[in-house]
Amino acid sequence: MGSAVTDRSSDLTDTDDSPGRSDRRTDAYVTGIATVPNGTHERPERALAAGVLLGAVDDAGVSVGDIDALYMPKPRPWTPQGFVSTLLTHQLGLELDASLEVYTGGTSGGHAFQAAVQAVRSGRIERAVVLAVERNSSIETDRYLSYILSIFDREFQSPAGPTIPGVYAMSLQRYLHEHGVAREDVASVVVKNRQHAVENPDALFTSPVTVDEVLDSRAIADPLRLYECPAPCDGAAALVVAGSEAAEGTPTPVHVMGTGFRHPASHLLGTRGGSLASFPAVGGASATAFADADIGVETLDLVEPYAPFPHTEAILTEELGLFDRGDGAAACSRGATALDGDIPISPSGGCIGRGHPALVTPLLNHVAAVRQLRGTAHNQIDGAATVLTTSEHGQFDGVTATVFGGGDR
Amino acid sequence: MSHTYTDPFWKGLDEGEFRVLQCSDCAAVSFPPAPICPRCHSDAVDLTPSEGRGRLVAFTRQHRTAPGIEAPIVIGLLELVEGPRLLVRIDASYGSLAIGDTMAIEPWAYDEGIDRGRLTEHPYFRARPEP
Repeated sequence: MGSAVTDRSSDLTDTDDSPGRSDRRTDAYVTGIATVPNGTHERPERALAAGVLLGAVDDAGVSVGDIDALYMPKPRPWTPQGFVSTLLTHQLGLELDASLEVYTGGTSGGHAFQAAVQAVRSGRIERAVVLAVERNSSIETDRYLSYILSIFDREFQSPAGPTIPGVYAMSLQRYLHEHGVAREDVASVVVKNRQHAVENPDALFTSPVTVDEVLDSRAIADPLRLYECPAPCDGAAALVVAGSEAAEGTPTPVHVMGTGFRHPASHLLGTRGGSLASFPAVGGASATAFADADIGVETLDLVEPYAPFPHTEAILTEELGLFDRGDGAAACSRGATALDGDIPISPSGGCIGRGHPALVTPLLNHVAAVRQLRGTAHNQIDGAATVLTTSEHGQFDGVTATVFGGGDR
Repeated sequence: MSHTYTDPFWKGLDEGEFRVLQCSDCAAVSFPPAPICPRCHSDAVDLTPSEGRGRLVAFTRQHRTAPGIEAPIVIGLLELVEGPRLLVRIDASYGSLAIGDTMAIEPWAYDEGIDRGRLTEHPYFRARPEP
């Protein structure tokens, strides 16, 4: 094993010093998108998946026979149908040169998309579909909470009884404590994202809320309140990713400029010795994506992040370098991240406003980015040319970052 | 028992000791038990007794819990005197706690409804404020 590792690393040293770009034979573009509205869907996962796959292919102006790869999050453990990618491949008559179901919780969709981008860039795949599907309406809360216990350390953590809001409540407590952040400023992130969602026809929530309503909603895990927790729901989304040649002539190709991923040594409760109110995976993933895209953070026109709780959006904007440490929530409160602010964050409403089918959320962020770059988004940001999306799993243990744009708009 | 590197921890807890991972190459102390040092990756690691005391880094009261655990519960992140941090159940009311409180870990004859598999007969642990 030791010698195999050595051999591989010596191979790597022979390559160009910018591996993200040097192995690129072609660029990757999103040429088709499809979604179903977040909410409750009676159709089983396999039907939702087939629907968005066909929808994205149609939007790309190609036929099903033109698809040569399928990438998707492995559906949740409570999904009755297994082997969904194989079932779809057979039922739709696909002939694939690559297919992958990946499961890393909330980053699954981010990983599936980035795997498709790498395959297309390498020239091995011409046109891939990336899809995600999730139904939370089919699982009872108790069963979901038992599943969540299994993602913690079974021996040392699960018996204590943690939940996802429980561990995020602790990072909120530290964020307030370490930086003297005003509680109302954190709640303002919910107010903004619920307001953004009002215009989004795919969003679960259609009404705005006030800071008082957020802070008066019932406690879930102190100090986190109900309106600060993302609402689980059903959803599905798909995108077509194509190489330069295959994208040529399609109506509105959107360039995938850069991708990045980072997972420091952490498991739901921060890195050893690091602050709970920091998410180093965001900085690492975005730095890689910016280098791959050859841009700096100042180039971004907006961000569609995977930020399930309000303080996590604030901390994420700090990790990106958009605001000083501890200023992210106040920045939202003073309007810097609103639609007409310096850097709009979550114009689609994000996890909090749209509702949160966690496996689908990364692709909903990608779709929101594509619509902004096509100029067809609700809450369209004028002149949007470069957009960053993210996804995360655990408590920001692993993070993907993806940069879209660079078009003529 | 004795089929994984965590077994000596549970044996220690049986005897009232809260053990942590000590690296004899880089001197790092870590938790939970692991087959190598997570800091320098040396395999010269051993479980050694800790004081079983530390300070409260963060805490929360969960109003809903998984089946088998009666809500509400208080959990927190404890930083041991030796340095490592760990998630703990806390045997105290939420309103009585503050960040920085000194806590002691004690073995806990676990009687909640979470299946601990091969560890069922062993105590778990929890923390309570030191007077």
